[in-house]
Amino acid sequence: MSLERKHIIFWLPIFLVCCIGFTAVLKIPRQVSAVIETKQKVFEAGETISLNFKLNIPAKTQLFLHASFGSTVLESDTARYILPEFISNKKGIIYYMLLHNSKIILEDTIEVKTNTTSPVQLESYVGPPSIIAGGTDYTMQVVVPTDVYDNPLPDSTAMRFKHQFLDTKKEEDLYSKDMIGWVNIFSYEQSGRLLISSKVKEVASKEFSVEIFPSLPQDFQISSKRRHSYADGNQITKFITSTLKDDYGNIVSDGTLVEFKVKNKNGTILQTQGSTVNGQAIGKMLHPDHQDIWEITAFIPGIAKSNVIQLEYAAVLNDLKVKFSENNREIIVGPLLSFMEQLIPDGAIVTLKIENDKSVETKIKTSSDGIARFILKKDFYPSGEYTIKIKALGAQKEFSQIPLQ
Amino acid sequence: MTNWNKNIYRSLIISSFLGIVLLILFGIGKTLSYLNTGADRSSMLHLALDKAQVYLPKVIWSDTINPGRPIEKQTLLDIEKDYLNAWYVRQVAYQTNLTSGIDDYYTISAQQNLIKNLEVNKQENISIKGTTTNHNLALDFYSADGQLAVLTDKNVKEYQQIYQKNQLLLETEIQSNYQVMLLLEDGFWRIRHLVKEKTQTSKEILQTDGFVKVIGTKIYVDNQEFQIKGINYYPQKTPWDMFGDDFNTHVISKDFDIIKTMGLNTIRIFLQYEDFGKASVKNEKLHKLEQVLDLAEAKDLKVIVTLFDFYGDYSVLDWTLTHRHAEQITTAFTNHRAILAWDVKNEPNLDFESRGKENVVAWLREMILQIKQYDSNHLVTIGWSDITSGGILKDEVDFVSFHYYQDIDIFEETYKELNSKINKPLVLQEFGVSSNREFWNPFGTSEKKQAAYHEQFQKIIQEQDIHYLSWTLYDFEEVPESVVGNLPWRKHKQKHFGFIDKAGKKKKAFEFTGN
Repeated sequence: MSLERKHIIFWLPIFLVCCIGFTAVLKIPRQVSAVIETKQKVFEAGETISLNFKLNIPAKTQLFLHASFGSTVLESDTARYILPEFISNKKGIIYYMLLHNSKIILEDTIEVKTNTTSPVQLESYVGPPSIIAGGTDYTMQVVVPTDVYDNPLPDSTAMRFKHQFLDTKKEEDLYSKDMIGWVNIFSYEQSGRLLISSKVKEVASKEFSVEIFPSLPQDFQISSKRRHSYADGNQITKFITSTLKDDYGNIVSDGTLVEFKVKNKNGTILQTQGSTVNGQAIGKMLHPDHQDIWEITAFIPGIAKSNVIQLEYAAVLNDLKVKFSENNREIIVGPLLSFMEQLIPDGAIVTLKIENDKSVETKIKTSSDGIARFILKKDFYPSGEYTIKIKALGAQKEFSQIPLQ
Repeated sequence: MTNWNKNIYRSLIISSFLGIVLLILFGIGKTLSYLNTGADRSSMLHLALDKAQVYLPKVIWSDTINPGRPIEKQTLLDIEKDYLNAWYVRQVAYQTNLTSGIDDYYTISAQQNLIKNLEVNKQENISIKGTTTNHNLALDFYSADGQLAVLTDKNVKEYQQIYQKNQLLLETEIQSNYQVMLLLEDGFWRIRHLVKEKTQTSKEILQTDGFVKVIGTKIYVDNQEFQIKGINYYPQKTPWDMFGDDFNTHVISKDFDIIKTMGLNTIRIFLQYEDFGKASVKNEKLHKLEQVLDLAEAKDLKVIVTLFDFYGDYSVLDWTLTHRHAEQITTAFTNHRAILAWDVKNEPNLDFESRGKENVVAWLREMILQIKQYDSNHLVTIGWSDITSGGILKDEVDFVSFHYYQDIDIFEETYKELNSKINKPLVLQEFGVSSNREFWNPFGTSEKKQAAYHEQFQKIIQEQDIHYLSWTLYDFEEVPESVVGNLPWRKHKQKHFGFIDKAGKKKKAFEFTGN
């Protein structure tokens, strides 16, 4: 079949007009689509991030951004966006969605990396702040380096850890992992102060100090010191420890408490304590006021103990002088004489026990100028016969059937 | 007389003196107690904070072995709690554009990042309602002094609704990995660094594939085709309170026998969200549910269990609490043979208007995912209150359920229309009519008409081969106000949908239950 030319000339324009017409009709519901013009996908923190999109039709679009610390939405008529600083300054993956009329037309991610050209900021954490000597205890130094925008530096950042102790100075190079770099510093055998610092790139940290305290003390010796060996109830006996040291010869920390336990002849336990100064502790105790034998041990409870030492105290008098007057109602004990026949120092305890078949009573007085004076008043002790027992400085005397009037 | 006056003056002076003294003492006391607030140790150290749980996403610790130091169980719990609280305060902040609570869970330098972002969002009138549903934590580092920890949180599923000028702009579901550094400050584990390491959008539809499954438009139980012929069930004495104090297995067992004699093979029951204990489901309730399911299994009845009855919040921040509710119930019965399907919620489309359609649908979509994640043995559906809502979330549910209380004459037509659109089984999950011709409603349906209605419906069901569950077994004596409100005629209507009347007598409709 052959078409005549005039037919073609007639139909072709109509056909073309129809074609154009239909494309125009079809164009209206065409959807907005976009391609990204910005090719860069990885940025450094602090860099201005602009995301430019090319739309097939000019339209108002929105850009939804999802970053480490939160989300936001930007709006633009030109599909050109500059990300706000709080997003472009923070390390992490940023997920974006380009929206038109609430429909997602493009989605992708970009990455913000730590700014490696900016000066490093160091944050260090050291703890525990005190450890004990001996090499088993340790302190940990954690360094968190960041860039100026407070982003942690990437893994495998080189770090130098330094510490100084007495004559030793050590350095160690390590690489960061999981945002941090860390090192354990074990104690030395000596006690003292450990100084710690670190360096990342050219930035040095502050100085940190960790106290290495002496370890636990070992068992020790005690000795005693006294003016004389008489049981005068007046002088003081000192118990002195040897210098307390730990396993490594470090003198224990000042203030370590030492308990002294004294067991006397009767099995009674007396106790005193002292704290160390330069490793030595001194405990003090008043002499007994009667003849006695003491067994002394010292403890640091639960940790260390001393040897046992024995001390004897001799009696100062054998006999008591007692004088009755005022119808036996005034009793004067003394003069009490000590080991050199000197008057006993004031304050020696004298007890007087007065009893009859109805009552027993004990009176206690302290000596003054070697004498203790008891007055038995009529109101309390009606006339009759009493037994009187007197005791002082380990000596005693008994007077029976003393009549009081 | 003067004496009297004197006494009156005296008593006035004395009583006003006492009154002033009392007032002054009271004032001093108030001032002192005001000055003391915040100074007591427990509040300074934050030892006794409000422990109400408001944010419960699923947290799994995959690994706590780290090079720093072994971690104590208690510290791990503290870190987890504070880390989740950090997410919670962040979600609240982005929703309200206020910074309250931020300073407790972010260090001063980390706070700046949030505050700047919030300022811009506030200016631009952007509000983001978000929540996270899953956290998979691993401990990377815990320092020797117990003051610093680094975690990795993988596949954090974050759901967000972005509103601009109070208009919903976008809904996103994003999965991200984060690395987090936390510092122990003032008794709080605070976020110091937070870096997002990976992000992807997540669109997942989990497939149910257990002893119950759907192939094409058919339901299979143990590889046998299963046609649902069922009834919605409440015990006669305890409607809408099946698992309450009057729970009685004896009654339920008898009712199941009646249902069996009606020739039915399925029941639908309801679990009330609050009654079951909200985010921490009560064991006692689970035990009662187990007894019901065991009875059903013994009588060879399948059960459609409707969750979240009477629940109505749907707010994004409430999601995680409802997820824990669903998790506890579904995991307890993953292997129970009596269950046919979990019905996520009864008639949620009725809440579209008051709660916002996008909120309700988003909640349902996520809930379906949650349920399927914990129980892949049983089907999941939603009980839409009308046939037109049937298309919503049709890809997510295993079968589409709808209720029909409209004109019976146009049912067939509308059913065919829906059927042509949906390539999944359709279940007519509720239908019925109330025989409520009485004082309150002299022109209501009589029992005879009710029977005719069911007869007609059964004919259509047979012709079209429809899965069905009718409403309901019994007439009820009492209907709680929360169901239909307190208008007497509405309450009254709801009382007469049963096949058996209040006296226990079979109504005329009993013949047409599908035998």
